[in-house]
Amino acid sequence: MLDGYMIEAEPYYRPTGNEVDLFSAAYQARLPVMLKGPTGCGKTRFIEHMAWRLKRPLVTISCHEDMTASDLVGRFLLDPSGTVWADGPLTLAVRHGAICYLDEIVEARQDTTVVIHALTDDRRILPLEKKGELVQAHPDFQLVISYNPGYQSVLKDLKESTKQRFCALDFGYPDPSVETEIVASEAGIDSATAHTLVEIARRSRNLRGQGLNEGASTRMLISAGLLIKAGVPLGEACTVALIVPITDDPDMRDALGNVVAACG
Amino acid sequence: MPGGAAEAFSGEWMAPWLRARRKLEGAGYGEAVCQSYARTSIVVAFEIGPEPAIDMADTLSAITIKSGRKAAAHFCEAAPVAARKLGSAPRFRTWLSLMQRFAALAPESIVPVLSRMTALMEELNVTQLEAWLLAGVRLSGVDVEKRLAFFAFETPEAARLLDRESKGIGFFEMDRRLRAYLCALFGVHPVIREAPPGRHDGSGRRSSFGEGFVQMPGHYRGVRGPEAEMLFRAALAHIGAHMRFGQGRFVLGQLKPLQVAVVSLIEDARGEHLAMAEMPGLRRLWTAFHVAEASGALTAESRFARLSRALIDPEFKDIDGWVRKGRDLFFAARDKWDDPQISRSIGNLLGNDLGQLRIQFNAKTYAVQPLYRDDNLGLWAFPEDGAPEDRSEILLDAARMTPNEGTRPPDTTRNDPETDQNTERVRPRAPDNPEGGVMVARHVEYDYEARVERPDWVTIQAVPPRAGPSGYASEVAQRYQQLIARITALVNAARVGRPERIRKQQDGETLDLDACIEAVRDMRSGIMPDLRVYQARRRQHRDLSVSVLLDTSASTGDPVGDVGVAIIDVLRDATVVLAHAMAELRDPFSIATFHSNGRDEVRYTQIKQFDEPMGRGVTTVLAGVRPGLSTRLGAALRETGARLAQQPTHRRLILLISDGEPSDIDCPDPRYLIEDARRAVQGLASQGINVFCVQVGQRNRETEERVFGRRNIVHIASIAELPEKLSILYLRLTA
Repeated sequence: MLDGYMIEAEPYYRPTGNEVDLFSAAYQARLPVMLKGPTGCGKTRFIEHMAWRLKRPLVTISCHEDMTASDLVGRFLLDPSGTVWADGPLTLAVRHGAICYLDEIVEARQDTTVVIHALTDDRRILPLEKKGELVQAHPDFQLVISYNPGYQSVLKDLKESTKQRFCALDFGYPDPSVETEIVASEAGIDSATAHTLVEIARRSRNLRGQGLNEGASTRMLISAGLLIKAGVPLGEACTVALIVPITDDPDMRDALGNVVAACG
Repeated sequence: MPGGAAEAFSGEWMAPWLRARRKLEGAGYGEAVCQSYARTSIVVAFEIGPEPAIDMADTLSAITIKSGRKAAAHFCEAAPVAARKLGSAPRFRTWLSLMQRFAALAPESIVPVLSRMTALMEELNVTQLEAWLLAGVRLSGVDVEKRLAFFAFETPEAARLLDRESKGIGFFEMDRRLRAYLCALFGVHPVIREAPPGRHDGSGRRSSFGEGFVQMPGHYRGVRGPEAEMLFRAALAHIGAHMRFGQGRFVLGQLKPLQVAVVSLIEDARGEHLAMAEMPGLRRLWTAFHVAEASGALTAESRFARLSRALIDPEFKDIDGWVRKGRDLFFAARDKWDDPQISRSIGNLLGNDLGQLRIQFNAKTYAVQPLYRDDNLGLWAFPEDGAPEDRSEILLDAARMTPNEGTRPPDTTRNDPETDQNTERVRPRAPDNPEGGVMVARHVEYDYEARVERPDWVTIQAVPPRAGPSGYASEVAQRYQQLIARITALVNAARVGRPERIRKQQDGETLDLDACIEAVRDMRSGIMPDLRVYQARRRQHRDLSVSVLLDTSASTGDPVGDVGVAIIDVLRDATVVLAHAMAELRDPFSIATFHSNGRDEVRYTQIKQFDEPMGRGVTTVLAGVRPGLSTRLGAALRETGARLAQQPTHRRLILLISDGEPSDIDCPDPRYLIEDARRAVQGLASQGINVFCVQVGQRNRETEERVFGRRNIVHIASIAELPEKLSILYLRLTA
């Protein structure tokens, strides 16, 4: 049923601590897990890696503002003979025992996210109210959510009752040496160039909350590294992959451009 | 007839020229004026053609009438200069009309301006000249003495504004990006301020820093364009290196000024090398400014510059023994660079060597080289007890913008305190106003006549709120008990975000039964069904922050009716009631008051911050608001807007409660501040901030509508009704 959701090849992941062991332990107990951390620091890659390692299918749902409970659990559709029920991705994962990953859960409205409550305590059930069905979770099912705490924190936050149902793993940007290794390996560039990119990113992260919402992520560095590998000079690669995407503020762009010049 | 006239005004131009001369002679301006014209118009004609030279007569005539014969003579001398510099008839005509306009605006100041025309034209083009002249007129208001002083360059503002007009890029223009640059590179967030104006003696203007603050020169003299940008960056990166790699201040002890200078120099190099180890690109930035050559006279200053270069520029070779020794010592200590004490020990050694060479060193005139380095005051701990030695105090004082007239800039007074007891004493000046405003921001102001926004024109002073009688809170609660109850009920009704059912949707959470039945009916009767059979529920969210801005100018002290209540009292009551409503609605809101005393003193008091709960404290502070001074509306709106812009909500609203139109003591032209306020409102609108004005008392519909737009203003004629109406108005406005 969920064969399409199986991950065949090992996704590259460089552990920065004992998160692999912690997650494995949580999975053994089928505890719901929350991955916290800034964007592009490797949360999604980590969960892909873990799904591969645990040999479970992974159902990923990117949450968004307009998402309703129906988008998660399913809805009635019309066909010539009347109405038919179609499972949503969450129901799919619950029935067939996948890891369900709700990416950027704060983006979803709070009244939507409460549907996961019954799944995340010892009941492990998903009530399909409209269909009048109570789905008992498959023994292999696990719920994982990701959560970016620094992100528009005033307006969007998890309900306290939601938060307290999860174990949490905190993800940050890796240490410079580890990050250099990751960038060098993922982009296929030499480690001196990767080191320069990491130095630039570290400085951009100093500007977090001082004009930037978020500094350059590891993901961005890998993009810049891939451009460099394709023959783009460092300065231009950083402009294209780091500076222009991250801000539209001309002053911040100028400052970042000069940071690149200082580090390069 | 003066020589050359026949060639200058050949053919058809001779007759009109002679006519212009006859007209001048007939007007009775005197022989000298006519002769000057005859002579200089020929020069002008040779430069840019006969026609503008003839037009010149009319301007001459206008200036003579306004400002007299002396001005006329100066004008005649200045005209050829302008013609030569501008090089074309249309530009020269613009200059003529500018001079005529200026003579009308400031007849007394035309002589000093014309007599400096050569120098002014060196620095400025016509547009910049116009901007500078108008700035001077604007700055001085109606004060003739002040105006004259400005145009005679007796006030420092004149040179500062001239710099700004001519150089284009100053610290002000780059402030924000430089801040970000420094913060990104070193992760430090000091307060960065521009050095106050008035230090235009040109001697060693350098950046400076201390605990948590940096002071930057507004301009580096003689550095323009992209180079100026680089220089600011180099200077900040250098200070950043100090802040990051320094470890507390050096103790001055018994060091001589010369030794202080050398130790500082080594410390500069140490910080830079540590920074360059992390960020190799900085070497390019800094080395560009090291231009000392390994030749020329061997003064202390030139040796310092050469050693500085030798320490950063690997290409630079110097044969001087002292420089070589310094270089060798410094690089031999490479492994210990993270210890600041090496700066001290190497510096002491080198300083002693120089002392033995009996090299003259004048600490008073010494300025650190190259230009981007700071004055090193931040490196040293000066004794706390002596007055003139307390440099940090001087710096802070300067940063507080109370320039002490007649004092040398602190950066040239880097002498050993032991040997220099006669330094002019600098004392922090007590603020002129007892309520102690602190300069927090500067804003642009729009000059509708010049059609420019003058940068950095208005100074906002944050005045801390004063507590009023503590009984006020309960008094208001009692007086408006019924009203507050009624409004709370209204608010509760408004607050509950009503879920709204939207039918016939392409997709949604549930099926819309009616639509389904219709669709099935259509299908069975063989008609193409409408597939929009879902329904959705949507909730209306309030996502709004509000800044309430209260005008507390003197006019709000006027009584209302005859019961001894002033406008301000009613404004205050209304604000309290409104604040209750807003707190109930859970809309984040702030309250501020403003009044002004000229462009240097727009007094702004934040009564309540966005994240502060509405409580007794806020009410008490609101009770302490006193009316006084004038209404510089545009500046207050810009300041409020800047604070409100940081609120992460969808809608942002400034609710202005005012009793009159903008005015201020230094603005005789009533239209000026109105146009500025209009500009401010437009600027805020483009940032997505709406301004809504509640006008009380007498009304001037035309002005109000010009500033805020017809739909963004409401007028409440009877002030006594304000508390009742304001909250209801707010509910309607934000529904």
